[in-house]
Amino acid sequence: MNLDDNDELVSVLPIHYSDTLFPNVHIHQFPLLTRPLQAPPSAVLSGKRITARYKAEARRLEIHVPVDTRPEVYNAEKSKTLGAGRAEDDREKNQEKPFRDGEDPRLSQVRLRSEQIPQRGAQVLGIVRDGKLHLHPISETHQFRPTLTHLDVLSRKNRRTRGGGSDSDSDDGPPPDPDEVAPAAAPPKEKKFPTDLREVHVTARKTDDQNGPGQGGLSAVRRDMLHIIRAEEDEKWQDLEFSDPTDQSSTVFESIFSQSNELLECSTNISTFIKSIKGL
Amino acid sequence: MEPNTSTAKAIGSLAKKQSDLSRQGPSKLKFVPTLPQRRKKEDEPAPAAASTPSDRGRGRGRGRGEGRGRGRGRGAPPVQMTASGPFAMGPAMAGSSTARRAAPRSNFVPVPTDAAAAAAGALSHSAPPALRKDISALKAGGSIKIEEEEEELYSDPDEGVEIVDMENVRQMDWMAPESLRKERQSKRTPKIKEEVENGEDAVIDAVDEKNALNLSDSEEEEELEDIIEDFAIQNTIATDGEVTHEDRLYFFQFPSPFPKFAYKNDSPVASSSNAMDVDPTAAGVPKKVSFAPDAKADVATAVSGSRTPSTVPSEVEPAQPLDGVIGQLEVYRSGAVKIRLANGILLDVAAATQPSFLQQAVVLDTQTKQLNVLGEVNKQFVVSPNVDALLSALEEEDSKPAELPLADGLIRME
Repeated sequence: MNLDDNDELVSVLPIHYSDTLFPNVHIHQFPLLTRPLQAPPSAVLSGKRITARYKAEARRLEIHVPVDTRPEVYNAEKSKTLGAGRAEDDREKNQEKPFRDGEDPRLSQVRLRSEQIPQRGAQVLGIVRDGKLHLHPISETHQFRPTLTHLDVLSRKNRRTRGGGSDSDSDDGPPPDPDEVAPAAAPPKEKKFPTDLREVHVTARKTDDQNGPGQGGLSAVRRDMLHIIRAEEDEKWQDLEFSDPTDQSSTVFESIFSQSNELLECSTNISTFIKSIKGL
Repeated sequence: MEPNTSTAKAIGSLAKKQSDLSRQGPSKLKFVPTLPQRRKKEDEPAPAAASTPSDRGRGRGRGRGEGRGRGRGRGAPPVQMTASGPFAMGPAMAGSSTARRAAPRSNFVPVPTDAAAAAAGALSHSAPPALRKDISALKAGGSIKIEEEEEELYSDPDEGVEIVDMENVRQMDWMAPESLRKERQSKRTPKIKEEVENGEDAVIDAVDEKNALNLSDSEEEEELEDIIEDFAIQNTIATDGEVTHEDRLYFFQFPSPFPKFAYKNDSPVASSSNAMDVDPTAAGVPKKVSFAPDAKADVATAVSGSRTPSTVPSEVEPAQPLDGVIGQLEVYRSGAVKIRLANGILLDVAAATQPSFLQQAVVLDTQTKQLNVLGEVNKQFVVSPNVDALLSALEEEDSKPAELPLADGLIRME
């Protein structure tokens, strides 16, 4: 864009900068949501709300959105099996919640779990109000995707009921592994002795596993990862009060705006940008 | 939704599904279970829903009458459907015309209001809520009309079969999946023209017209126009005194070390909000000012924290939060938008790739255990250093070192 000097200035907005809410302003991305994050009207009608919880150490957030349980779009039968899976999953991870009424656990909410992603550049939130541009730094970015860990539990169960031989195997391997094994086991099935062949496969798999973690294959990196995962699972969830922009968060919303008109000093200049590039 | 006995529910849901299938898959023939529909009626909390079963023309024609309709091409030639079988009596179908709610244009797509919630039974015919930026795109102009024209015509449907345009699947239920969008290119040009017609402000009008002329030239031009729209319109709204929740959230990606700012050490003079006049002086006398060390530090941690997510930025509690004017945003007639900060920092603002998904700005307060959603991010911008300014600054610095030793020498001599 070549901009000539006679380019006319149309409007000027003063930029206000504030970091009053400094480490707390985050960006939440929902890569799988193309609609606003809100509880379906039918769920709202029955008094359900979006809830949230977090683990401070692990920097992990979960947002629970109630599902739409209208029979048109909700399979009540299926929700029971899935719900049971989730209940068990919760039990394993020590995050069990007491079910009220003692009724069948149902899959009544979608859990969106966060993953912190690194930020590029200096990210800043801007709002235009009263002809001023208000800026506030964004400290963290998280991406939310639905957790489907309850499916792991269910698929593990399925394998157990189908073939006894694979039982020990699925216990050894990490949860996603059973899924990977399944297709590999399928082709030999078409030959004469499906069960035998299958078992061979299982043993191969087993040695594979032992090679991995057993003989020094468990690298420091991997141990660290496991440690992190375990630490995260051990940490207790802390409930958060989730509030929409429509209700009382407006007070928070106001606090993001800069209040003063004081001119701030700047200690850097434009060449810092280029100087701070490593390797230049 | 159906708090009945479990056995009845099983049957009910099965039957329900059957009818559901036929509604979505045109090929399925109609199974005629009237029972589940009845049952639904009992659950129906909304009297309105029950009262309008005669509202047969519920097909595509609804919603256009309401001025606010998001009207994704509903209704131009209403496919007249004589309701037959369960369609005739389903309470879920009734009252859909009243229940079609367009998402209001406030900044936040609100959680459905009570009215909408009351009509929850009619949800099966309301479109799912759209993202804020999509709505604003629609609001911006004529895409509604265009889509109307594009509405396809089908031959009369056979009995028990409903023809569903794949494009309109989204319209069928609140939970309906997103249908793939058509090429946006065809929409865009007329959209801008409409904007010109609407002409909200003389200034913007002029800008729009200019850009509309250039439109065929490049995509870039178009985006710049959009930026202007964002900032200029906001401006006019604000001056109109229409301060509702119309604040849009923008996401800026600045070049990596965000310029460090601090309070002036001398008495905090409340300066005029127009930074233009003061900037040169601030740039001219940077040396005499010393900076609050902690303020600098926390900007530094903000930056480092953003690079390495594993560090916990909350360790450093800013002793004195920064709050003040740091510069100005300039909108040029050509469509360029620039940010001018102190010390001659000139930054270009350009529209970034806009994500298609939901992005929210939130405040997570771990003290009060609250997660406050500020709103949906409307638009993303990339802020990059202006190359001309950068080069001239570098040049200046190159010439400086020659002077500095001299100055040192002078001091030594004294």
